[in-house]
This record gives sequence, structure tokens and C-alpha cells, in this order.
Amino acid sequence: MSERGDLRIVKFDNLVAIFNASLLWEYRSLLLRGLAYNFYVFAVAGALAISLGLSIAVLRLQPGWIARSIGSVYVEVFRNVPEYVLLIWVHFVLPLLITALLRSQVNFSPFVSAVLALGLAYGGYFTEAFRGGIQAVPRPHVEAARAIGMSGAMTLRRIILPQAIRHMLPEGMNLLVSLFKATTLVSLIEVPDLLYQVTIVVQQEMRPLPLYSGAAFIYFLLIFFISAAVDRLTQRWRVAWR
Amino acid sequence: MSTWQRVVFRNFDLFLSGLWVTAQICVIAFAVAIVLGMAACLVKLYVRPLRFAANLYIQFCRNTPIYVQLLWVNYVWPDVIGWPTSFFAAGWMALGLQSSGYLAETFRAGIEGVPRGHVEAARSLGMSRFQNFRRIVLPQALLVMASSIMNQFLVLAKSSTLVSVIAVPDLMYQALRLASKWFEPIEPLSFVAFVYIVVIFVLSHAMKRYADRLQSRYG
Repeated sequence: MSERGDLRIVKFDNLVAIFNASLLWEYRSLLLRGLAYNFYVFAVAGALAISLGLSIAVLRLQPGWIARSIGSVYVEVFRNVPEYVLLIWVHFVLPLLITALLRSQVNFSPFVSAVLALGLAYGGYFTEAFRGGIQAVPRPHVEAARAIGMSGAMTLRRIILPQAIRHMLPEGMNLLVSLFKATTLVSLIEVPDLLYQVTIVVQQEMRPLPLYSGAAFIYFLLIFFISAAVDRLTQRWRVAWR
Repeated sequence: MSTWQRVVFRNFDLFLSGLWVTAQICVIAFAVAIVLGMAACLVKLYVRPLRFAANLYIQFCRNTPIYVQLLWVNYVWPDVIGWPTSFFAAGWMALGLQSSGYLAETFRAGIEGVPRGHVEAARSLGMSRFQNFRRIVLPQALLVMASSIMNQFLVLAKSSTLVSVIAVPDLMYQALRLASKWFEPIEPLSFVAFVYIVVIFVLSHAMKRYADRLQSRYG
């Protein structure tokens, strides 16, 4: 009996354990607090990424070669560096470099490192999205705005950005969804997000099966519905503005 | 300079072995992703009764963060199906799983982009469904999909750094180990970041040129 049981490929007791949500329910307040951290990191890093992306995109479209090359270097570096490597680098190396430079002790809290790393990385992606959007604005619109006496900043705000944002909306929304997925990485530098709390509970309870499966399931549901809603909204906005 | 010498250049063989592991895991994972992604896509398009299951699989792969999948495959699968038995296998399986979801959607878009008339013409010439797929649909679809498939490889290569978390001795793992062994984080971590940036930069430009060449030759 037991021999035959051992030969089975699927271990049914463990398969059942996967769907056991009682542990998740027991630790619900801890896990929800963790999830709040995911959203917190996401919001701050997203704001940083979008503002960086817009600034660098404008920089990249300047006529002068110095501004342009600064923009290109930024994009090539931060689009090509893996997020995990950047996260570790920002958390463990950057404070040391700044300390050496300023000659005074600097430390980043995990949250600051997380926001900085994700903001910088996604700033690179957002730069390209903004650049694509801005370049899609018909040149005569800009010229007409300048001709009736609008300043550069005003042209950007009133003429270029409304059209550019509409153009880059799908890509920008996808980027935000991937940014949310990337916030799970911050548990690796001990930001107490959902996944971090799950690993802590796993160490206490020694029951990885329901907990890791539960975490996967929660993230799946959350991101699935967020991206479905985002797709919906994007389409509606694009139609409404046309 | 001496720290660079001591921690980075003297341990060049370690970095090289790490890079080799990274390369292996990326190639295996991508092969797995192509097979699984193609299977999921074909089931979704042509096998009506299983369409819901294929859709669920694709959405699960796409909408779960890679790090969560990695932990899930590494800690949950062995207790349920008795596999993967090594960290290395768990690494490529998780990476392959994630990419397969994205690739399935890419394949679907490519296949659906082939003009309906071409398929009908091939059918009326008497080609079998398989012949039709291989000779008419796939070549045209591949051309359209080339650049996004390559892009997916780069995404996978970047995510592959995470396998160091489950103790697969890849490039990032070696750098982290050296950093903690010598208590010198600056040099090895900066070096490894530089290596990743250069490798991925070169790969992405080479792939882009290749995709452009394909496009101009056959497109």
C-alpha cells in the first residue's frame, strides 16, 4: 500500500494543502499591511518614474548634443540593467559612494532604495514611451503654437502633452502594470511588502505550500484584474478623446 | 585599485563561470518558453474545448510576478509533483513559465495577423492543416513576431538575475557572494551591473539589427 503510494507522481495530501487558505486568513492583517506597502512603493516609484521619464524625454529631444547624449546614456543604462541588480546596487553601493563623496555617513532605508531603484529603472522605459508620444505629435501643431506666441513650456503643456499622452497611453499603462509586478522585488531588501511577510510567516509556520501558493494566487488575481481594468479604461479614454 | 584587483580581477574565473550559468539558464528557459508558449497558443486558437484552460494558463503566467513564480516553483512544486529536484531546474522552469505566457500572446497576434485569404488559398490548393500552418502561416507570422520574441528574450535575461536568490550560482550570485565574503560591496556589484548593462545592450542592438534585416529582406 505504502509502496504504491510512494510511486504516485502527484502527492495528493500536498496538492490539497495548496488550496488551504486558513493560514492566509489567520495572518490576514499582516498580509494586508504588506500589500499596502506594495501599493505604497508602486505609487511613489511610479510618480518618480513618470516625472523622470518626461524630463529625460524632453532632454533627449533638445537640439544640443550634450543634453541629448545625457538622455541617451540614461536610457541605455537604466533600460538595460536588470531591476534586481539595480536594486541591490542602489541599496548597498550607492550609499557608500555618496558617503565617500560627502565625507559623512549616509544610509538609505530599504523603502528609499526600493523607490529610487524602481523609479530609475522605469524612468528609462517611460522616457522611451514619452519620446514616442511626443514625436507622434504633428510638427505643424508645434509650429502653429509657437507662431501664435506660446512659450516652449506652454506649448509642451497645452499642445504636445495632451496628444502625446493619448498616444502613449497603452504602453504607459503596461509599464505601470509591470512596475506593480516589480514591486515584489523589494522584499529582497527587506521592505515589508506582501511577499516579505509571506516569507516571514513561512519561516515561522514551516508550511510553504499554502503560503507561497496563496501569495501567487493573490498577486495573480490582483494583477489580472488591475490589467483588465486598465485595458478597459485605456480603450474608453482613447475613444472618448478621438 | 587594490580592492578591484583583490575582489574582482583575481576572481575573474568565478564571474566567468557565473556568466556561463546565466547563459545556460537563459537558453534553456527560453526554449521551454517557446515550446510551452506555442502549445498554449495553438490550444487557445484551435482546440475549442480547452480554450478556457489555455487562457487561464496564459493569464496566470503573465500576471504573476516572476519572483513569486520562482518561489512557488522552487518551494511548492517539489512537494506536489516531486520535481524540480534542483535549484537550477526550478530557475529555468520559473523563467520559462513567465515568458511562455507572453510568448503565447505574441504568437497568437502573429498568427491572427496572417491574412485570412492566404490560409483559404492554401486550403483550396489542397494543403493539409499542418502543411498550411508550417508553410503559409508560420513564416509570415514569424517575420512579424521576430522583434517581440527577441525582446522577450531580453526580459528573460534580465529576470534571470533573480535565480541567485534560490542559490543558483549565476553571475549575480557570484557577485553577491564575493561582496559578502570580502565585505566589499562596491567593486563586485558595480562590476556585475556593468557587465549586465553591456551584455544586454549589445544583445538588444544586435537583435534589433537582425530583426530589421529580416524585415527588409522578406517583409
